[in-house]
Amino acid sequence: RLNNPGGSNNILVNPRQVRKGNRILDHIRNVPWEYDSELQSDFVVGTTTCALFLSLKYHRLHPEYVYNRIQALGKLYNLRILLVRVDIDNHTDSIRDLTKTSIINNLTIILAWTDAEAGRYLETFKSYEMAQPTLIMEKQAPDYASRIIDTLTSVRSVNKADALSLISNFGSLRNAMNAIPEEILMIGGWGQQKVDRFTQTIEAPFVIRN
Amino acid sequence: MSNALAAEHEDIRLSLPLEYQKQILRDVRTEDGLVILARGLGLPRIISNLLHSYDRPGNLVVLLGAHSREEDWIGESMASIASATDVATKGLQILNTELTGVEKREKLYAQGGMFSITSRILVTDLLTKLLDPVKITGIVIIRAERVVATSTEAFILRIFRQNNKVGFIKAFSDNPEPFTTGFSPLSNMMRHLFLRKVYLWPRYRLEVAKSLENRRAEVIELEVNITESMRDIQNAILECIEVCLAELKRSNSQVDFEEWNIESALQSGFEASIRRVLDPVWHRVSKKTRQIVSDLTTLQQILHYLLTYDSVSFNKVLDAILATNTPAPGSTRQNHSPWLFLDAANIIFSTAKRRIFGSLENKTETLSNQISESEGLEELPKWSMLAEVIDEIEHELHFNPPSPDSANNTILLMCSDGRTCRQVRQFLQNMQPTENGKPANAKTMMRRKLKAYREWKPNFVKIKDQLFRHEESTVKQGIHGHQNYDHRGKPPPNKRRRVRGGGTIAAASSTHPINIRNTAICMEDGEATRLDDFLGNDDIVAKEEVAVDLLEHIEDFFELYDYDELVVILPYDGDMDDRALEELRPRFIVMYEPEPSFIRRVEVYRSSHQNRSLRVYYMYYGSSVEEQRYLSAVRREKDAFTRLIREKGNMAIVLTQDGASMDDPQNIFLRTINTRIAGGGRITAASEPPRVCVDLREFRSSLPSLLHGRNLTIVPCMLTVGDYIISPTMCIERKSVKDLISSFRDGRLYTQCETMLLHYKTPLLLIEFDQNKTDKKPFADMTSSIGSTDLQTKLVLLTLAFPRIKIIWSSSPYATAEIFEELKKNHDEPNPVKAVSIGLEEGEEPTNSYNQAPQDFLRSMPAISSKNYKNLMLEVENLRTLSNMSQRQIQNIVGLEAGRAVYKFLNKDFRGLS
Repeated sequence: RLNNPGGSNNILVNPRQVRKGNRILDHIRNVPWEYDSELQSDFVVGTTTCALFLSLKYHRLHPEYVYNRIQALGKLYNLRILLVRVDIDNHTDSIRDLTKTSIINNLTIILAWTDAEAGRYLETFKSYEMAQPTLIMEKQAPDYASRIIDTLTSVRSVNKADALSLISNFGSLRNAMNAIPEEILMIGGWGQQKVDRFTQTIEAPFVIRN
Repeated sequence: MSNALAAEHEDIRLSLPLEYQKQILRDVRTEDGLVILARGLGLPRIISNLLHSYDRPGNLVVLLGAHSREEDWIGESMASIASATDVATKGLQILNTELTGVEKREKLYAQGGMFSITSRILVTDLLTKLLDPVKITGIVIIRAERVVATSTEAFILRIFRQNNKVGFIKAFSDNPEPFTTGFSPLSNMMRHLFLRKVYLWPRYRLEVAKSLENRRAEVIELEVNITESMRDIQNAILECIEVCLAELKRSNSQVDFEEWNIESALQSGFEASIRRVLDPVWHRVSKKTRQIVSDLTTLQQILHYLLTYDSVSFNKVLDAILATNTPAPGSTRQNHSPWLFLDAANIIFSTAKRRIFGSLENKTETLSNQISESEGLEELPKWSMLAEVIDEIEHELHFNPPSPDSANNTILLMCSDGRTCRQVRQFLQNMQPTENGKPANAKTMMRRKLKAYREWKPNFVKIKDQLFRHEESTVKQGIHGHQNYDHRGKPPPNKRRRVRGGGTIAAASSTHPINIRNTAICMEDGEATRLDDFLGNDDIVAKEEVAVDLLEHIEDFFELYDYDELVVILPYDGDMDDRALEELRPRFIVMYEPEPSFIRRVEVYRSSHQNRSLRVYYMYYGSSVEEQRYLSAVRREKDAFTRLIREKGNMAIVLTQDGASMDDPQNIFLRTINTRIAGGGRITAASEPPRVCVDLREFRSSLPSLLHGRNLTIVPCMLTVGDYIISPTMCIERKSVKDLISSFRDGRLYTQCETMLLHYKTPLLLIEFDQNKTDKKPFADMTSSIGSTDLQTKLVLLTLAFPRIKIIWSSSPYATAEIFEELKKNHDEPNPVKAVSIGLEEGEEPTNSYNQAPQDFLRSMPAISSKNYKNLMLEVENLRTLSNMSQRQIQNIVGLEAGRAVYKFLNKDFRGLS
C-alpha cells in the first residue's frame, strides 16, 4: 500500500470479498493472505499494485457498481488491475464497455475464466512483485549450439530433426546457407517445400525497396 | 458484363481442343460464376484463354490467386495464343512488390491490360486508390476455395463491388473438398464471391467423359509387392499412429475428434486438420498433447519415407528422429514422445536396421563388411520393376519401331517429388542390368550409400551430443556455455559427404529435360565403376562426380539433345505437368507413384492430340498406404462433387424464394452492409469519416477487412511502432494467442511495448482469440504450480513492468472491430503521415519495408537485438551475403562484441569440435 511502503508479505484482502462469498479466496493457496478493512480496492498484491474484482454476472445486474468502486479508488496505486471473472456466455458487449472504462480510468483488465485462474493471477502478482522482467526481455546471450536449432526452426515447417540433419550434413550454418538447393534436397526429411522455404529465406533481400 | 458481351462478337481464336473446355469458357464468359472443376482437367488453359479474350485496349482485368510459376505459364500461353492471331494484345503483367515499386505500378495501371497481382498488394492499392476500383473491367480468381469471409480475397471483392457495380467476377477452383467441409459451405462462398451461378465439372460429368473417353490411352497397371520387412515397418507405424490417435482423443475429451481415424491420418492434410481443431484451444492443451500432434506428423512422414527412401536413407532419418527425441539424462519420461516407448517403435527401428545390415543375430554394425548377398542392403521393389519396364520399352522400340507420328520416343518418368526423381535417376545410372534372368539390382549404389552413412554416423553422433546436451547444460548454467569455438582453422576430421550436382532435375528447373542415357553410357565406359563392388574405394566417388558434373553444366554446352534418346524424370507438379506433357510429347509415360490428377492430365493430353500414340505404365505398391491413399483421394473428390451437386440443387430453391433481392449480387452486398450499419449504429455525418492507420503487415490478418466492413476508412501504412493507430494518442499492438506466446518467448513484445510507451500516450496491447474458441476455459493449463513459463506469469510480468500499457481482450476479430470503433469515439482521427514517421531513425526512409521470413531468421540469431537488426538489414543484401561476410565487416555494422558473436555463430563448424 502507498501509506505502508514496507508492504506486507501477504496479499491484503478487503473483508467485503468474504462477506460476498468470493470463491477465489479458496484458490489463493501458494501465497498467504490477510484481511485489511481499510482497503479501497479488493486486493492489494504489491506495494504499488491493487486489484478490483468484478464478476460479469454481477456486473450485468448492477452495472453502476464497478464505476462507484473505481471512483472510490481515486488515483491510488500505480498499477491498478481490474480482475474480471468471465462467468457469462455472452460477454462481448460487457467487455467492450469495460475496456473503454479501463482506458479512461487507468485500469489494466485481466480476464479469468475460472475462480482458480483468478486466484492464480493474484498469487502471481504478489510473488512476482519484486521480479525483474528479464524473463520476457530479449536475450543477448551468445550460446551458439542451442541457438542454431532455434534459428533454423524459425523457417516455417522446419523442425528440430530437420535442423539437426542439416547441420550434421554441412557442419556450419554458413555452409548450409551457401548450399545449393539440390544438396539440401538430398538430406532425409528435407522435401521440396522445405528446401524452397529455406532457400527463399536465405536469398530474399531483407529490404523491399519501392 | 457489357465488355464481355462486346468481346464475344469479336473473332476470338480459342486454343482449347476439347469440347467441354470450350463449353466451360463459353458459360463463364456469358454469365459470371464460380467454376469448380475436377483436378487435372486443364484449368490453366481455360484461364489463359479467358484472359486472352479480354486482352483488348481499354480493359483492365485482374488475375487473383495465381502462384508465381502459374503466372509465368499463363502469361506464356497467352502470348502463344496471341501470336497466332493478329489482334494487338498486351499479355499478362505480373506485379509483386519485390520487383515493382509504387510509382511503376501506378503507371502500369494507367495503361491497363491483364494483371496478375498478389492479393496483399492489390488490397492496399485499392485502398490507397492507386488502382481505382472503377477502372477495373473485371476480376478473375483462381483457387476460389480460399475466399472465406475473413480472407483478403473477400476483402478485395467487397471493395471492388462497393465501388464498381458493372465489372465482372469470374471464379475458378479445382479443389472441390473445401466447398463441402469445415465452415465454408458453397452458399457462403458464393456470397463472398458476389456470385450466384455455380458451374460444376466433375470428371464423371457426361461432357467430360465424352471428350476424354473416345480415345483412351493404353494403360498398363503394375502392382509391386512391398518386402516383408517393409510390411512389418508399415504395420508398426500404423499401430503407433493408432495409439497416438487414441491417446489424443482420450486426453482431449472436450474436443470433437470423431471424424478422425487411421484412414484420415493417412491423408496429407491431416496435420493441418488436427491443428485447425486444436488451434482455438492450443494455448491450453497439455504439453503431452502438443507432443502427440507433432509425433503424428513425424509418423506420417516416416510412413511416406518408408515407401520412397532407400533403406539406408530411411534408417538415417530414423537416426535423426531418435536423436531429437532421446531423453536428456535426468529428465522425466513425460516430456518425450510416447510412441517411442511402444513395442511397435522397437519393431520400426530394428527392422529398419535389419534392412541394411541383414539379420542382426550374430553380426554387429562393425562387422557388417561381410553382409551376405541374400539379405541386407534391401532395395526398393519398384526399382527392379522400373528396370524391367524400361527394358521392355527399349526392346519394343528396337524391334518394332512405332509408326511415325508427332510423338517422341521420349520416356517420361513421373515421381512424387524431386528427391525421388534423383533417387530413381541414380538407380538408372548405377544399376546392374538384367543378366541371365537375374533381375536388375542396385548393389553398387546401395553400398556407396552405406559407406557414406558410415562416414556420416560418427559426425552425427558428435553433433547431436553437442547440440542437445549443450542445450540442456545452458539451461542449468545460464549463459556462456562454450568457449572453444576456435576450430575454424582446423580442417574437419572427415571429408564432407559429397552431394554435389545432379539436381538440375529437381524443382525449379523441372522443365529441363535431362539426358540420362548419355550419362549412363559415359558411366559404363569406366568399367571400374560397375565392377568395383568394394566399399572404401574412392574411385567410385570420384567417377560419379565426373559424370554428375557433366550434367550440372548441361546448359553450358548448348547441345540439343534428341528427344528420342531421353528418359526424362520429373516430379508431379500440379497444373505444370500439362506443360511438361505438351513440351515433351512422350510416347511412353511411367508413373512411378500413383497420382490421380496426373492420370486425368494424361487423358486430357491424349484426347487433345489424336495423332500421338501413348502408353502409360502405372506402378504402385499393392496393399500399402500408397494404394490406400490414392484410392481415398479419388473417393473424397467424388464425394465432394456429389455433395456439391446436391447443395447446388438446394441453393436454387433459396434463390427463387428470396426473389429479386437475391438475384442481384449488388443487393446481397447492400444488405450485408446494411446489417453492419445497424449493428455499428453510426451515421457518418461527421466532417471526417472515421479512419484507422493499419500496418501493411497486418493485411495478412482478417481485421483490416472487418474494420472496413464497419465503415471505417482503412489507411495502409508502413508503421514502425504499433500495428493499428486509431487516434493521435492511441496505438495498438495486436497479438493472437499464438503470436503472444512466441513474442513473449523471444522478448519482442517487451521491446514493442517499450517503443509504444515512448511515442504514444495510450499504448494498448490487444489479445485476440480465435473466433471459434470455446470459452469458459482457463487461459493456461492450471495443473502445475506457479511456473515461470506460464503465459499468465509472463502477462503479469508485463503489466508489472509497464503499468501504463492497457490490455484489450477480444474474443474474435469481429469483436475487435467493434472495440476499435467504440474506443475511437470522441477522439481525433489519426494522422497517417505522422504515424508513419514515428519511431523511425533520423534519415531513415519510411518507404522501406522488410521481408518477414529473413527478418525472423536474423532475429533468432544470438547477439542480434531489436537495436541492431535493422542496421544489418539496411546494410546487407540478404542472409547469404551476411553468412559470407568477414568478422570485421559484420563488426563494422553491429559493433565489436555482437559482430564477433554473429560471425562465430555463422562460421562455427560443429563437426570440428570433439
